[in-house]
Amino acid sequence: MSSLSGLLPAPVHQNPAQEYDQHQYSNTVTAPIVRIPPYGERTGWKPKKPEDFGDGGAFPEIHTAQYPLDMGRKKKSTSKAGSTIALQVDAQGNVAYDAIAKRGHGSKEIVQAQFKDLVPLHERADIGEISLSRPGEEEVQETADRTRAALEKISKSKITAAQPKSVVSNNKPGAPTYIRYTPANQSASAEGVNQRVIRMVEMPVDPMEPPRHHHRKVPRGPPSPPPPVLHSPPRKVTAKEQADWVIPPCISNWKNAKGYTIPLDKRLAADGRGLQDVQINDNFAKLSEALALASRHAQDEVRQRSLMQQKVAQKEKEAKEQNLRALAQRARDERAGIVSSSSGAGEQESSGRGRQQDSGSESGSDDDSDDDEAKQRAARERDALRKERQQEREKDLRMSRMGAEQKAKVMARAEGRDISEKVALGLAKPTQSKDSMYDARLFGQSSGLNSGFKEDDAYSVYDKPMFTHTGSSLYRPKRGGGEGGEDAGNEDDIARSLESDRFGSAGISGKGFRGAEGGRNMQRDGPVTFEKEADIFGLDDFNKADSKKRTGLDISSTQEAFGRGLGTLNLSLVSRSTHYFKTTLEYSSMASPELTSPLTAN
Amino acid sequence: MVKCWDLETNKVIRHYHGHLSGVYALAIHPTLDVLVTSGRDATARVWDMRTKQAVHTLSGHTGTVSAVKCQEADPQVITTSMDSTVRLWDLAAGKTMTRLTHHKKSVRAMALHPTEFTFATASPDNIKQWKCPEGQFMRNFEGPEGVTGGGGIVNAMAVNADNVMFTGADNGAMGFWDWKSGHQFQRLDSLVQPGSLDSEAGIFCAEFDKTGLRLITGEADKTIKIWKEDDQATPETHPLDWKPSLMRKRY
Repeated sequence: MSSLSGLLPAPVHQNPAQEYDQHQYSNTVTAPIVRIPPYGERTGWKPKKPEDFGDGGAFPEIHTAQYPLDMGRKKKSTSKAGSTIALQVDAQGNVAYDAIAKRGHGSKEIVQAQFKDLVPLHERADIGEISLSRPGEEEVQETADRTRAALEKISKSKITAAQPKSVVSNNKPGAPTYIRYTPANQSASAEGVNQRVIRMVEMPVDPMEPPRHHHRKVPRGPPSPPPPVLHSPPRKVTAKEQADWVIPPCISNWKNAKGYTIPLDKRLAADGRGLQDVQINDNFAKLSEALALASRHAQDEVRQRSLMQQKVAQKEKEAKEQNLRALAQRARDERAGIVSSSSGAGEQESSGRGRQQDSGSESGSDDDSDDDEAKQRAARERDALRKERQQEREKDLRMSRMGAEQKAKVMARAEGRDISEKVALGLAKPTQSKDSMYDARLFGQSSGLNSGFKEDDAYSVYDKPMFTHTGSSLYRPKRGGGEGGEDAGNEDDIARSLESDRFGSAGISGKGFRGAEGGRNMQRDGPVTFEKEADIFGLDDFNKADSKKRTGLDISSTQEAFGRGLGTLNLSLVSRSTHYFKTTLEYSSMASPELTSPLTAN
Repeated sequence: MVKCWDLETNKVIRHYHGHLSGVYALAIHPTLDVLVTSGRDATARVWDMRTKQAVHTLSGHTGTVSAVKCQEADPQVITTSMDSTVRLWDLAAGKTMTRLTHHKKSVRAMALHPTEFTFATASPDNIKQWKCPEGQFMRNFEGPEGVTGGGGIVNAMAVNADNVMFTGADNGAMGFWDWKSGHQFQRLDSLVQPGSLDSEAGIFCAEFDKTGLRLITGEADKTIKIWKEDDQATPETHPLDWKPSLMRKRY
């Protein structure tokens, strides 16, 4: 270069740029040039301002923290959200405004943040060739392999994590296992292969220890920043359209799952009651009117009919009475006529009397309205009485005519009437007593206020126990039948009789008493019947005998009786009955005939 | 619970346990032995089919994940959700590659093209077509009767190798679209079977079979219908009236 410039002649004019520069910048004040001490002379010098670094970086021989170009400072906030990003310009000089949208995503991620992403592909200017073909075989294969490897890695790690770590331990779980360990890297140990035997023991676990690690729930981290929305904002909904889509809440007449309390008007509103207009047909009114009219008609008719009937009956009665009166009158007249026939004068009197009577009857018939009814009533009552007496007479006649059996039947029926029948017949009369009736069980009770105060823990609702011990008072019929002699050939009976044979004489019941078998476990076939023994010892006879002169026969008889009584007493003792009254013990067949009844002597 | 059935014996042979609530969609990876399921717990779970282990839990969605699809190349898993986003996932890492926020309402259906490297998603406001692997927005499918072809809520989508896309809506409206141009060339209303109410028309799921000649739809009137191409149709009988829209497009 220098040789060439030497060859060429010198320029005639100076460089116009240089001229310009010299013109322009002659007036400016030059900034004070920072003089950086050269290497070797920097002891004690510290770069403080960014200009002290010049074009270079930090000075390694100056042992202070240096931040050339402000690089390396710890409090860097570019990666935090909300802080500013440096303006980035791409190769063409266009400012990349979508750096904000692309923050937070990996570099591989595509964020569509420009208007051109909205434009259909064929109309886009910046895309050259559009190839819509699917990628070829190799690419597909490569993708598949890559993906498969990645997925297998993940799944394998998951599987191995899930599998239990198999440490071979064939001993009991608590016993130590010994592992021969050969270190993998032989480089460090120059002594050659050194195998070690490791003894592994399970650490004892405290069973009562609570879990050591707290599983804490970590709240989800912030999601990736939202992508830019590449459509126009949703259009505002008109009021009409909003009103179209209003759905009222569902108030069911049958279900209310959450148990809401819904006011009644809302419940009815769900039914749609207020919306309908109830139309009632006119014919309903017509029908009801017609029914009312018809019923009134019918009532009138019935009333009139009854009136007519009454009148007819009245007339008939009157006619009858007239007849009767006429008959009576005639009878009286005849009687009067007979009397008057004997004495002529009486005739006139009777006729006069008759006339009087007629007039009386006439006068009676004159003031009809009040007396007639009373008379009719009286007449009816007399008729009823007559009828009753007639019936009674007939009944008496029948009863007298009946034979004995009929009588018995009738008596039985009359006596054996159930109370309901008596009520139906009207024969049941309640007890007529001046004061009201009380249940005798209410008197003399140990409970109630009249019985006095009780202790605190006295239970006053029930005074008597619920169950009276009915074990012994219930009658339980004996299963196999009470009499021993009924089924003589039966095995069970024989066995039973043998069992209950207390005096050792098999086949013969011995001196056992029927009803006293079984000893302590006596099985009753009927409730215990008691009979008062009239005279066990024959003391009555004895006393009776005392008044008379005692003869030897008498003594012996009394003695006999006494002995007999003793005998019976012994037997009763043997039977171990605890009753105060002696039970009637029937002697078995074997018993001596003289002892069948205690009182045979006299 | 996700169950694996043996079709020879008609029995359940495996359970995949891990989803917290209802499972809405399922996809099997074409090359790996991996199953991806998604559901109401806003996650998609990746299961190793053999070991029944949940290998990845693809979380990040904030609403029910309504559809999942798997393909052999990156992005290997694509999920759409009722929080109106679509996410493209990196299966090896288990992380989201891209989030597509173009939809306004919940995205209920998705379909992958069998031969092209594209897919489509449908929501009540729009049906959009996308290009893999970056998820670049390609076009909106626009029908003459409305944005979703008169459907409203699109429940099911399926794509043919002949570039025929089918969308089945909640009200029984079926739309047939041309994949390449985005034009709806046919609109049908599914007839309910006799005995069903007219309001019981709706399509819940739809698929083209392997040949692409038959479309199978599962519908709300308790029927499964199989559809085929009409042989007698000609451009004269069924004219294709495509009119470019003069309206300025807003995105």
